Amino acid sequence: MTRRELPDTWRGESYYGQPPLKNPQWDWKVSGYIAIAGLAGAAQALAWIGTRRDRDAFRGARRNANLIGLTGAATGSALLIADLKTPRRFYNMLRILRPTSPMSFGTYILGAFGVATAVSALGDISALRRRRAVARLADIAQAGAAISGAGAATYTAALMAATSNPYYAAAPRGLGAQFSTSSVAAGAAALALGERAGGRDKSAKQLEEVAAIAAVGHVGASLVAGRSRRAAGVERAVAGSAHKSEAADLLIAGALPIAGYALNRATGGRAPAAAVVGSLALIAGSFVMRHGILNKGKKAARRPDAAFGLAQPRNLPGTDRRRLGGRL
Amino acid sequence: MSFDAPQEARRTAGTGIEPGRDYGFFTDTSVCIGCKACEVACKEWNQLPAEEDGMSGMSYDNTVDLSATTWRHVAFIEQMNHRPDGQTPDFQSRWLMSSDVCKHCDPAPCLEACPTGAIFRTEFNTVVVQQDICNGCGYCVPACPFGVVDLDGVDGKAHKCTMCYDRLKGGLEPACSKVCPTDSIQFGPLDELIPRAEDRVASLHDRGVEDAYLYGAPGHPGATGGIEKLNAFFLLLDRPEVYNFPAAPSRPAERIGLALGTGLATFAGLALAATALLGNRR
Repeated sequence: MTRRELPDTWRGESYYGQPPLKNPQWDWKVSGYIAIAGLAGAAQALAWIGTRRDRDAFRGARRNANLIGLTGAATGSALLIADLKTPRRFYNMLRILRPTSPMSFGTYILGAFGVATAVSALGDISALRRRRAVARLADIAQAGAAISGAGAATYTAALMAATSNPYYAAAPRGLGAQFSTSSVAAGAAALALGERAGGRDKSAKQLEEVAAIAAVGHVGASLVAGRSRRAAGVERAVAGSAHKSEAADLLIAGALPIAGYALNRATGGRAPAAAVVGSLALIAGSFVMRHGILNKGKKAARRPDAAFGLAQPRNLPGTDRRRLGGRL
Repeated sequence: MSFDAPQEARRTAGTGIEPGRDYGFFTDTSVCIGCKACEVACKEWNQLPAEEDGMSGMSYDNTVDLSATTWRHVAFIEQMNHRPDGQTPDFQSRWLMSSDVCKHCDPAPCLEACPTGAIFRTEFNTVVVQQDICNGCGYCVPACPFGVVDLDGVDGKAHKCTMCYDRLKGGLEPACSKVCPTDSIQFGPLDELIPRAEDRVASLHDRGVEDAYLYGAPGHPGATGGIEKLNAFFLLLDRPEVYNFPAAPSRPAERIGLALGTGLATFAGLALAATALLGNRR
């Protein structure tokens, strides 16, 4: 029987400091897509919930959510195709459906979201809405858009976590919570802005409450995710930029919107501008957060201390440490 | 492939090559002399262009890394103070040389990530990218735990070692293993290679090379975290990181459930809050 343990412990050795991993050639198009899919998906889900609770009050929000959903599905698809290095073969994404690949099943989630949103939007055309069958179909499609929207808003966390990139892989749960809270916050903020613009202050206020709760949840999710990455020994390698973009995330997608909404509420609704600023900050924050995570991951993959730090036996989930060796 | 292929591999590698059997590489780094014949043979057979990076300053390694156009890479590690007492014997620095290659993992993270089906598992249990399918999404690149597969900027497709799929179909062993002058790279069926590698480790231990161990064979370091085995496995003499290998790679697909589950649960929680907050409230 040969020895099944590693010699010694890892003392930070590497091969001339060469990057152990390769990076995706992903740029702002991918982080932008992730933010757009999150915002649009959550907007549809929230509009559906609002419609179920009070159809008349949320008629405007429903129309806006359909528009956001259509725009999101269209620009999102365009961004994804533009990111391919052989874009004329984009349709090859539909050759198979692979449950182990979020890139694969995400394509179908996005497709379902686009189709459901388009059908749901038929109900917003007044000439068609008078036909009962169309109205009914649009209602069903809206539910479909809400469910696929929840998927579109969260599968992207699996897309990033299911890689070997140390920064994305170190906190799969944290990333899932970060992305879904940010999506709901941005989606609610976008709908709230529409309600403010349409002069429907009551539903605007309700949506801002949802956005504020999601923003609080996002702060918690970001703190938890950061702790997981530090525990895995990944954050240290990119600490400089990580602290900066974490601070930006907590400020733009946390403190600023929560303060804006609180100010408007404390003044009895006499500071709607503060709420509008809060909503805009949440939307901007959802883009900043995704882009920050993308870039930190690209940095971490080039660093042996981060990549090898995560790929140590102690970080293997649910495995028998002794069998895998590596005296720690 | 014609049914009466001559099976040259019987003479060069001592094995026939038949569909349905699992093949792989055993790279015994203890006998690698760093001649780079494998790198050259690979480039020649697969018609891969040279990289133009100049001198790296990393010992005799100017190849530096595996890439879309370099599928074998010989690492050169020069160690001083390598004796247990921390001393370097006169003129006796320690040389570690190792020919890196795609590990043809089982299961393979790149294959599991590929959304087009361009990456597939062949009848020889190797992993190959079909160039006429790949659309250059690049998701296989961060999926690989070993930093092997990469996109080529010229044609916009993912490329990596095919274990000479075309040669295997013709009954020839891969170009790199055929050319290796010290048999550091051995090609063969895994059910023969793995026991041979275990014997090699045992015999090295007997001769006092206590550091020798297998990387990537089933149950050994490198075959961890849901990756059951690396069909191209190695005999190493120092920590995996020294050779630019991760000590405990893991299968990325196992993180899908964690991320998606937590994401959807959080989303559902917020949707519940929204149900309470939106609409007419008393």
